[in-house]
Amino acid sequence: MAKTIMIVDDSASLRQVVSIALKSSGYDVIEGVDGKDALSKLTGQKVHLIISDVNMPNMDGITFVQELKKKPEYKFTPVIMLTTESGEDKKSQGQAAGVKAWVVKPFKPDQMITAVSKLILP
Amino acid sequence: MDNTDQVPGKWQVEGEMTIFTAASIKEKLAALLSASSRLEIDLSGVNEIDTAGVQLLLATKKECQAKGGDLTLVHHSIQVLDVLDLCNLTTIFGDPVVISSN
Amino acid sequence: MGMEEALQTFFVESHELLQEMEDRLLAIQGLVVDEDRIEAINAIFRAAHTIKGSAGLFGLDGIVEFTHVLESVLDKVRSSQLVMDADMISLFLKCKDHVSLLVGLEESGGVLQGSDQATGQALVAQLSAYLQAPQTNTVHEEKTHPAITYPHLDPLALESAGGGVVDNDNWHISIEFGPDVLRNGMDPLSIFRYLGTMGTIVQVGTFFDRLPGLSEMDPETCYMSYLINFSSEADKTTIESAFEFVQEDCKINILPPHSRIADFVSVIKGLPQHDLRIGEMLVQCGTLTERELAAVLAYQAAQESGQNSTEAGTKQPLGEMVVQAGFVQPAVVEAALQKQSQQKKTKARQQQSIRVDAEKLDMLINLIGELVIAGAGVNIVAQRSGRADMLEAASTLSRLVEEVRDGALNLRMVQIGETFNRFQRVVHDVAKDLGKEIELLISGGDTELDKTVVEKIGDPLTHLVRNSIDHGIETADIRAARGKPAQGKVHLNAYHDSGSIVIEVQDDGGGLNRDKILAKALEKGLVESVHEMSDSDVFQLIFEAGFSTADTVSNISGRGVGMDVVRRNIEALRGNIEIQSKYTVGTTIRIRLPLTLAIIDGFLVRVGQSHYVIPLDMVIECVDLPEENLNSSKGSNYFSLRGEVLPYMRLRDTFEIDGESGRRESVVIVKYGNTRAGLVVDTLLGEFQTVIKPLGKLFERIKGIGGSTILGTGEVALILDIPNLVQQVVRKDHHESSRLQVRH
Repeated sequence: MAKTIMIVDDSASLRQVVSIALKSSGYDVIEGVDGKDALSKLTGQKVHLIISDVNMPNMDGITFVQELKKKPEYKFTPVIMLTTESGEDKKSQGQAAGVKAWVVKPFKPDQMITAVSKLILP
Repeated sequence: MDNTDQVPGKWQVEGEMTIFTAASIKEKLAALLSASSRLEIDLSGVNEIDTAGVQLLLATKKECQAKGGDLTLVHHSIQVLDVLDLCNLTTIFGDPVVISSN
Repeated sequence: MGMEEALQTFFVESHELLQEMEDRLLAIQGLVVDEDRIEAINAIFRAAHTIKGSAGLFGLDGIVEFTHVLESVLDKVRSSQLVMDADMISLFLKCKDHVSLLVGLEESGGVLQGSDQATGQALVAQLSAYLQAPQTNTVHEEKTHPAITYPHLDPLALESAGGGVVDNDNWHISIEFGPDVLRNGMDPLSIFRYLGTMGTIVQVGTFFDRLPGLSEMDPETCYMSYLINFSSEADKTTIESAFEFVQEDCKINILPPHSRIADFVSVIKGLPQHDLRIGEMLVQCGTLTERELAAVLAYQAAQESGQNSTEAGTKQPLGEMVVQAGFVQPAVVEAALQKQSQQKKTKARQQQSIRVDAEKLDMLINLIGELVIAGAGVNIVAQRSGRADMLEAASTLSRLVEEVRDGALNLRMVQIGETFNRFQRVVHDVAKDLGKEIELLISGGDTELDKTVVEKIGDPLTHLVRNSIDHGIETADIRAARGKPAQGKVHLNAYHDSGSIVIEVQDDGGGLNRDKILAKALEKGLVESVHEMSDSDVFQLIFEAGFSTADTVSNISGRGVGMDVVRRNIEALRGNIEIQSKYTVGTTIRIRLPLTLAIIDGFLVRVGQSHYVIPLDMVIECVDLPEENLNSSKGSNYFSLRGEVLPYMRLRDTFEIDGESGRRESVVIVKYGNTRAGLVVDTLLGEFQTVIKPLGKLFERIKGIGGSTILGTGEVALILDIPNLVQQVVRKDHHESSRLQVRH
């Protein structure tokens, strides 16, 4: 059974490209538009990895991860967080929330696949 | 207390032995251990195991032996065999397993 | 879904974000509440941030470079290091325009003009001035292609000094995992599996000395350490990167093949286990031979006795070892990175499609139109000549022209999916504005239709979708009262149906209230009597100008575009629109459009001296008008076709053509949607490829005529607007209204 990855970003095109890349590598993908939307879509199903942007409307990535850690089904789910070079303060907040994997935007699809493979293989 | 004559406590683990289930599996194992230091765990129903799961098995084995008993693992599922193989732990547990071609 | 489609999404998304950026920038000076300002600034920052991020994914480096600088300045504003004043706002607006230009160029395949390039450079200079303010000297590091960062590339110890060299061809990795690794979602096993993708894990040695008995252990804490004998062609950087996400929590030591004896001393010292156990494990894993181990231990002993006694016997934490070990030589890293980027380039996706300027395509279609007409001319000449070889050549030519035409038209066909997908955002935004929960379902996205049609359908469709959400889907409490799920559904669907494409906008909302519409229509004087109006007639009323049933005018519908404009847009595309609705249950709005606007297969008929073309896909059959109906224009407008009563109209009357009809009249039975009707003509001339030419201003207002075409003989034929005529026939049947006339 293919592993499921959730991509949370407010950019539809980014979600599409990451989705295409992940799917072609053999993962199942679900998408969330922002933290709030993502939480509403996490209803107990198995998700092996979550990729989330930091800057999002409605609910940002840090709050999203903090909420995630309150849910028993997802508190240990690895999170890759997308960040900018200038986002050091966000990064320390994220690390406090338990995010260890960071990928800097902009990235190429291949780079994302590599980062994902370090945490789960398809 | 001499435990060698005890009837081994038996349990079949179902589902995943991962960080998500580690706490509840630990409780179950601890309960079994308090009744007997000889345990036989059936792993045929384990569909996923990670480091947290491996640690649980190792810690149980340690404690069983410390109390004079032992932990026996039986009916390893493929997923369990893969992981024990990867970490070179099959011989540590010393249980007969179906040898995969490494 | 492919990359090309994703790229289209990017263009649309970028334009939306840029629009939002502009709106926010324009509004920000009017905002007095701090929270509002912060929200606006965040939104502006996010727009730049999102565009940069997505542009990077598509390799649009020009956009990345420019938005990177813009984002950096916006980040300063966001973190209150800079204050956004009027000057800055106008600079940002110019930057927004420049990004728009850059995105537009990517979209159209254009090239950045010299003057625009200069504008861009000037803007970057202005932006950079803000970054070079005294307190901000650290931010502006130009990295146009940052790879995944290695937060602390340094800590991995790769020693290179001391002692003899071991025989092993493999890499040695020893790693002690920190306690929180598992809680953070990282599994050592996953890292090993990943290593397995870049080489062969010869052997793993597992240390669980730190692991207590079950009752004392914390099941979520990691206690493990490992030695790995790893065979790989990969370079140091690549192997290191496997541990990228855990290195902050772990002590890692990586030794390349043929490392020195001294290096293994650090391995042994770096792990908390007993030296001999580590040594045994190294031998067990095949990393060292017994002899090499002995050498390592001897070396260690010599080292310890040589040092002062405080260090002997105590384990040195790996952190200190790392400091001693020194860094990877920059040259090595650089070479490794270079190699990686080369590999990436060769992997680049091969383009499956080429982009063609839409104008060139239109020109081709136009030329083919002319070719079709010329071909028809050749056909006529051939027929007149009566020469068999000439006829045969002409028929071959016609067939080929037909194929070329189909092929060319196909070039313009695009899937409607892209257009549909854009609505995810629209639905999301509108639903959010209105505080409603809406799910957008999309089906039939692979249905193809003419590019021109797709371009023109966007606006009316947007209006319909907004309308569905705004007026259709009820508020959560009403939905609950009606026993519906809180989340409303809007469904976009497309399919082909007898030469048309049908697009449906369906919602499970409140449906149309017939009584309310009628009351409103009476009030506005749109109808005089409510008697005998079918539901669909009543529903059509909402397309009348100045009609609105909403109790409250919301932000969404207050855009000055009414449903009458939607209908006009659809009709301009030679389409029509119909509504099915059930009060409290939901509404389906069905748009029926022609597949293409350029060339159609027509059926040529003659009335008097005039030629008319009926789109072939609407023709069902042709029959002779029954004798009892001949010359009975004043009488009944029905005839019986195999027992079915069919309304008909005489084109001679409709278009006021002089002269009497011949002894024999034919009826062309046409169908539009679910309605059938007969058109009475003098002569049937057969199938004819029709190049649609726009009508002149004079003819635009004639109801029942959709366009014109030129026959092979040079004569002009009018193309019948069948939807309109069918409507007229049916209406005539209802109201006994007399003729269709030229309006004023």
